[in-house]
Amino acid sequence: MTERLVLAVPSKGRLMEQTSALLAAAGLQLRKTGHERGYRGEIDGLDGVEVTFISASEIAAHLKTGRAHLGVTGEDLVREHMADTDDRVTLVKKLGFGHADVVVAVPSGWIDVRNMADLDRIAQPFRRIHGRWYRVATKYLNTTRRFFAAMGVTDYRLVESLGATEGTPAAGTADLIVDITSTGETLRANGLKILDDGVILKSEANLVVSNTAGWTPGTERTRDEILARLGV
Amino acid sequence: MAAETAKKFEALERQAQTLMGVFVAAGHEAVAPSMIQPADVFLDVVGETLRARTYVFTDHNGVELCLRPDLTVPTCRLHLERHPEGNVAAKYCYNGPAFRFQPQGAAGTHPREFRQAGIEAFAAGDRETADAETIATIINAMKAAGLGAFKLKIGDLGLFSALLTAAQMPERWRTLLTHQFWRPDAFRAELKRLVSSQTEALQGIPAELVSSLDPAKPDDAVNTVGRFLEQRGIDLVGARSVSEITASLLDIVANGRAVPLPRQTADVIENYLQVRAPADAATARIEDLLRGTGVDITPALDTFDRRLALLADAGVDLAHTEFSAEFGRSLEYYTGFVFEFAAPGLDPTSPVAGGGRYDSLMHAAGAQSDVAAVGAAIHTERLLAAIEGTQK
Repeated sequence: MTERLVLAVPSKGRLMEQTSALLAAAGLQLRKTGHERGYRGEIDGLDGVEVTFISASEIAAHLKTGRAHLGVTGEDLVREHMADTDDRVTLVKKLGFGHADVVVAVPSGWIDVRNMADLDRIAQPFRRIHGRWYRVATKYLNTTRRFFAAMGVTDYRLVESLGATEGTPAAGTADLIVDITSTGETLRANGLKILDDGVILKSEANLVVSNTAGWTPGTERTRDEILARLGV
Repeated sequence: MAAETAKKFEALERQAQTLMGVFVAAGHEAVAPSMIQPADVFLDVVGETLRARTYVFTDHNGVELCLRPDLTVPTCRLHLERHPEGNVAAKYCYNGPAFRFQPQGAAGTHPREFRQAGIEAFAAGDRETADAETIATIINAMKAAGLGAFKLKIGDLGLFSALLTAAQMPERWRTLLTHQFWRPDAFRAELKRLVSSQTEALQGIPAELVSSLDPAKPDDAVNTVGRFLEQRGIDLVGARSVSEITASLLDIVANGRAVPLPRQTADVIENYLQVRAPADAATARIEDLLRGTGVDITPALDTFDRRLALLADAGVDLAHTEFSAEFGRSLEYYTGFVFEFAAPGLDPTSPVAGGGRYDSLMHAAGAQSDVAAVGAAIHTERLLAAIEGTQK
């Protein structure tokens, strides 16, 4: 029992349903062990796998530290959780669901701000008029910092937002946001538009292998079996 | 721990006493600013990129604090606590730890915790005299500690500002280039944009606004933009007002209609930034470069020369001091004279001491207006390593 492969699967919502369906279609039927509301499970007919049901964000953290060998989670969360993504994990397969773009969005009324260069251009005047840097609300703190730095935008302040980020400009707690969107409808409803070069990442659910997990010949065999069934 | 052994710690302490002795003898008051600082001031001054290099944390009340990444901003804050108006002459010195996150992992020359010994002079009467005194005091301190050889490198952001001011261009381009100065790639891209056709500048701006906005009539423009938003049913959310957006649109429209920056002017700027010369030959080199271009920065060069003369009086060997026009670009808060010292045996990316003039920092830290300020800090572990290295 010491050589069980830990497979981390989203614990709720559409992402859980779609992950279960995808695994089932590949002959990997998830089954909860113990209480139905519990967070542990197995795969029917495949020994040596311990399934753990946790939030998509925790899955990224577990893959990073190696507490999970294998997991299904969004690329956005994987990249947010680690600066050295490609050292720590391998994104082995895009799964075709959980599509979401991580974007920079500003109020639609900012017709003078078309792209990141414009955003940089208004930083100093904004500061002169409002006595502060503009605030960017997001839950993607690391992703935002990296993208803004790469685009040469440095004069801003980050505000961590754990929910309803798209409402923060209207609420006055932030001036623009970095958030996920699938259709852009929620952004438009909140009076926001995406910058021309403001798509940071086109994310979807991925099957991810942890490079930092303690791999043994046993867990490697189990991994290869799962990957083979999923057609990787 | 920066000093792993008691022996090294004691050696650093002894060295610090020597350095502080020189600083105090030069008229600097010894102070010990707090190690834990409000993160706000640093983030405001240096920007969000600072977070990547600084230990920022939230206390139990939700207040964002940081471990000081240097002692300059803490010393400014200490001065402002004593003199809220800021503009009071004072000279301080300090010795103590500073903390920086090292993304590649802490290493010998880039530790996450290191001791800085340094000086700051606020609201000194004559800027060039204060600049030269700062260098002289740092040199005296390093020599007193036992450093035999070093190489001084200097720069002057004042020359660059003067060059931009003297070059013919709309003020908004000057602002833009000044803003981008600290990002060499963006700066080059901006220059290139300014010399090429400006029609690109208008892409993505609604055509009806481009045709109807007149930079000469800003009030009319605000109404036009307000009507435009209303007709499109765009609710303006957030802090920026229609007049702010209009002012920015007018800049874009003016850029779209402007005559491009002459290639020659862009060349002058680029050539200037490439100047590297012994300090005593720098002025002649820059004058050669500007001759016949119509760009005249004589007053700034006179200031530069006067500072050099003061440095020579203080015993600085100008022929062996390197001037680099571009130097200072990585440190956004510097506003004028900048310098750093390299020591033999140390990695060239690890200066043993450095500093410069930062006249706008005090304002950013809360003073009512700019306060003349110049300072320098010695990286004491590196100094000790350099001295011990030469003794072996």
